[in-house]
Amino acid sequence: MTTRASRSPRRRTVAALAVVLAVLCGFIIRLVDIQVVNAEGHIADSQELAFGAKTDLYGTRGEIVDADGEALATSILMYDGKLDPAHVGPIEREVDGVEVEVPWDQVAAEMGAITGQTADEIMQIVDDALAADAGSRFAYLKRGLTTEQYRALADLRAPFLTFDMHPQRTYPDGAVAGNVVGFVGSDGQPLAGIEQIENTCLASANGQVTYMRGADGVVIPGTEVETPAVDGGTLQLTIDRDLQWYLQQLIAEEVQNKRANSGAILVVEVATGKIRAAAEYPTVDPNNVEASAEADRGSRLFLASYEPGSTLKAITAASVIDAGVATPDTTVTAGDYETFPNGARVGDFESHPVLNYTLTGALIDSSNVALSKFGEMLSADMRHDYLERFGVGQGTAIGWPSEPQGVLYPASEWDNQTFYATTFGQGYTMTSPQVASAYQALANDGLKMPLSLVESCTLADGTVVEPDLPEPEQVVSKEAADAVTLMLENVAVQAQMAEYIAVDGYRIAAKTGTAQVAGNGGYKAGVYFTSLIGILPADDPQYIVLTTLDEPTTIKSSAANRQAFQKAMTQVLKNYRVLPSDSQTPLLPKTL
Amino acid sequence: MSALPLTSAAATASALPRPAERPSRRLEVVAAPKPRRRPRLLYGIVAVTGALTIGAAQMGLSILTTQGSYEVSQLTREQRDLTYQKQILIDDVAGLNSPQFLAANASALGMVIAESPNYLRLSDGVVLGTGEAAPGASTIDALGRPSVPNALIADAPLVTAPTATIEGVPVVAEPPAADAATPGAGTDTPTPPPVTDGLPVPRTH
Repeated sequence: MTTRASRSPRRRTVAALAVVLAVLCGFIIRLVDIQVVNAEGHIADSQELAFGAKTDLYGTRGEIVDADGEALATSILMYDGKLDPAHVGPIEREVDGVEVEVPWDQVAAEMGAITGQTADEIMQIVDDALAADAGSRFAYLKRGLTTEQYRALADLRAPFLTFDMHPQRTYPDGAVAGNVVGFVGSDGQPLAGIEQIENTCLASANGQVTYMRGADGVVIPGTEVETPAVDGGTLQLTIDRDLQWYLQQLIAEEVQNKRANSGAILVVEVATGKIRAAAEYPTVDPNNVEASAEADRGSRLFLASYEPGSTLKAITAASVIDAGVATPDTTVTAGDYETFPNGARVGDFESHPVLNYTLTGALIDSSNVALSKFGEMLSADMRHDYLERFGVGQGTAIGWPSEPQGVLYPASEWDNQTFYATTFGQGYTMTSPQVASAYQALANDGLKMPLSLVESCTLADGTVVEPDLPEPEQVVSKEAADAVTLMLENVAVQAQMAEYIAVDGYRIAAKTGTAQVAGNGGYKAGVYFTSLIGILPADDPQYIVLTTLDEPTTIKSSAANRQAFQKAMTQVLKNYRVLPSDSQTPLLPKTL
Repeated sequence: MSALPLTSAAATASALPRPAERPSRRLEVVAAPKPRRRPRLLYGIVAVTGALTIGAAQMGLSILTTQGSYEVSQLTREQRDLTYQKQILIDDVAGLNSPQFLAANASALGMVIAESPNYLRLSDGVVLGTGEAAPGASTIDALGRPSVPNALIADAPLVTAPTATIEGVPVVAEPPAADAATPGAGTDTPTPPPVTDGLPVPRTH
């Protein structure tokens, strides 16, 4: 059947089919290439073609507010003015309906009048940019322009002047709580303090909106695709800014008066462990970080650890009472310098005859020798555990970056001298917040609350996130804590400093601390890290006030703190409307 | 049916009326179909009008949205201008409510931060506290030794003493023309308003 004649058309058919198939294959391959292999690129291209215009949406970094909701840090918008040096020149302007040409030097003068530069300075900027690159298209006119300056410059309608908008941080109260709040860099990155610690709460996310625009620039309805910006959360601190300001002003004056290196005042609420004020000097104005020395830009208060000294004698007293081996009236016989059986030598700050000290009396005179004798009633292990429970060597719940934990060696590593030194606050180190925290436990019937600086974080969607704090801990019995508070109250009324630190109408408890400062290979001679800590009012403890001065020189002992302490206490009582006490301090015997 | 025997023909004749009784077996001529009616005009009109209406409505809505988008654009511009104004005003008052500025102003008026507080208990009229008058001197010097810096208000004239700033530096007298541009500075006087309705009484519960 297959003749030559019939075979030919069939071949043609096959050939045609092959060609068609080949073309089809080509199309299929291309289709797969477009639809599958390079789909994403094409989609992006089409999106860009379709939604040519886009606008960035800036999220606002969250505010930092104080305990009453007053802003300590907030965000504003600033602008950078940018020149196009290659196109700088005279501009056309319509004056009374007539087009006139304004020469460049006059435009520069008008710009300068707004930015505070001279015409020559501005022309110099342009000349410099052109000298560096003849075709230069970019030079900053001025960065950090305010909105007012920006609008005035924009009204000049100079085509070669454009602006970048960027959110910037401002601190309405300046240095008030500057040490706590911290600051952000010029690029908006948090660099210190709460800005850094709580950045996850405060940080915002930028968004953008894309849309199609008509020839006249109007957005074509229905073409907007928006990725919304997310604002940062509002962070509420426990700090009271009015109290914080007063205490900062106070400690600044006292540091200057006493010619100390630095000083601090810390106020902690007894019932909650919340830090109500953390004042220190010198410190930083976050609006003008450059004005502060590098070392003053952080917080010494949270970062400096030291051997606390006599303030921690109260913890020794609480330990022996809680363990049941002593009462406030238990006595020991102590001279002003003694050598103990294990060879340790302990001396008192002030000389005195051999006395039959009660525990109260040992605290009133702050006798190292007497406290050593009370301390040795407990084993080293037990005292170590009590110190640990009061927070020595345990850090705090604040979580300040590189906050020291404090150093407390295991009791097995205590040498003979350390065995006694630990009874009067030496041989271990603490930070000021840790000392205040130990006193908070004493004042709060032995219940230690974790310290906190942050009240809450309210996210943009209204969710309130409270910080995750450790559980409160009963460190000694209520009876032991109350007995120590009463003894410290007797310190406040019976010690030498009594008349200087009294607050009329109020019962207060107080204890001094004079810590030796570690220097080159030993303790520095004649200079101390001095402190005074108080519980107020002592009959109904509500606040702990701790003042410290680092190496005061006009008065070198803890007496340097008296004025700061007395004024700070008065202000705390006044600020929180604490009513005067309606009873007198019951006096306990100092010696028997 | 075709196999009926002849013998039954008579019977068939005698029973003539019978066929009428069996209509199912009769073939009938089907009536010719009625001539097709002309389609009703009404439906067409309705359909076309509907289409036109939809088209018109679509166009109308489109015009309205376009119009709306111009309005939105206009309002957005207004909103932006107002935002600028708000920012300018915020910049102007930044730092004026800071504690150090308030204290410096109060201090310039001669107010002092006193020692221990006193309280009057309303229930029995007892004065709690020392009952002493405030000393003449403040416990801190907010104006003379301002030690809590605030760059925002370093150059701001005090409201209560317009010729000084918190730093104590006398403000350079501005030309009168510039005064109008900075309302607030210099317009407030430290003189208290006159008392008209007797002494103001604090509201208490």
